[in-house]
Amino acid sequence: MWRLASRPDVAVDVASAGLACCSLEVEAAGQRGLLVASETVPQAAAVTVLVVAGTVTTAVEPALVRLFDEHAQHGPVIIVSFGACATSGGPYWDAPTVRPGIEALFPGQEIASYVPGCPPRPEALVVELERLVDSRIPA
Amino acid sequence: MSDSTPQRNVIALLPEACTSCMVCVRECPSWCISLESHVEAVSEEGARRPRTVNVLDEFTIDYGLCMYCGICIETCPFDALAWRDSFDYSSGDRQGLRQDAVDLSRWWPTGS
Ligand code: SF4
Ligand code: SF4
Ligand code: SF4
Repeated sequence: MWRLASRPDVAVDVASAGLACCSLEVEAAGQRGLLVASETVPQAAAVTVLVVAGTVTTAVEPALVRLFDEHAQHGPVIIVSFGACATSGGPYWDAPTVRPGIEALFPGQEIASYVPGCPPRPEALVVELERLVDSRIPA
Repeated sequence: MSDSTPQRNVIALLPEACTSCMVCVRECPSWCISLESHVEAVSEEGARRPRTVNVLDEFTIDYGLCMYCGICIETCPFDALAWRDSFDYSSGDRQGLRQDAVDLSRWWPTGS
């Protein structure tokens, strides 16, 4: 779990579902101090941003839905599709074992934002998180 | 291509330079470029027959699918595609990552 370094007062947890290369960029945002690691247990009021970063194989789909459900038990969850694989299957869109995008993966849940890139830059993640926090979460 | 060339951020299109030759569309490993064009006959004074030219109608890159390999830029024989350095063009919906010729040409004047 991470917190956004530029919005220290906002109770938002950033959870990365790191599935492939894109997750390294989430780590890079941490290494650059843009995200700070948080050990805190999610509070009832906290908002979680679930960043799906990487290739979603059909084998991993159920685990991803379970991860969402676990966070949703603690409060609202905002889902971000980070990179081409999460958005469309990316370079593997034609592989039968790869889900061609998470648009309809989480029943009844919209994807708040799609960040382009293969992989996107760490800065792109942080700019997106700041925008989501500022527009959706009261300080 | 020099090291200072911004790479892997966004691809700009110069529609005037594009001849609708389809090279980029065929070479793209992700199949994320789509292009439509039509042929027009241009008659010129003194010419023995009209010239035929391709006219670009639509050019789209799906940035939800693009793997930012740069093959389209490298293979374009007419330098109609180029890297630009903006990375901030996320979208609230999937279709919003499909950029058409107007969107793509807006990137052209900025950057290097
Ligand atoms: S979008 Fe590109 S960088 Fe990201 S997980 Fe897929 S292949 Fe890897
Ligand atoms: S960068 Fe590569 S994947 Fe993207 S449009 Fe160009 S050729 Fe296709
Ligand atoms: S390769 Fe260049 S000129 Fe040919 S269709 Fe693509 S952008 Fe246009």
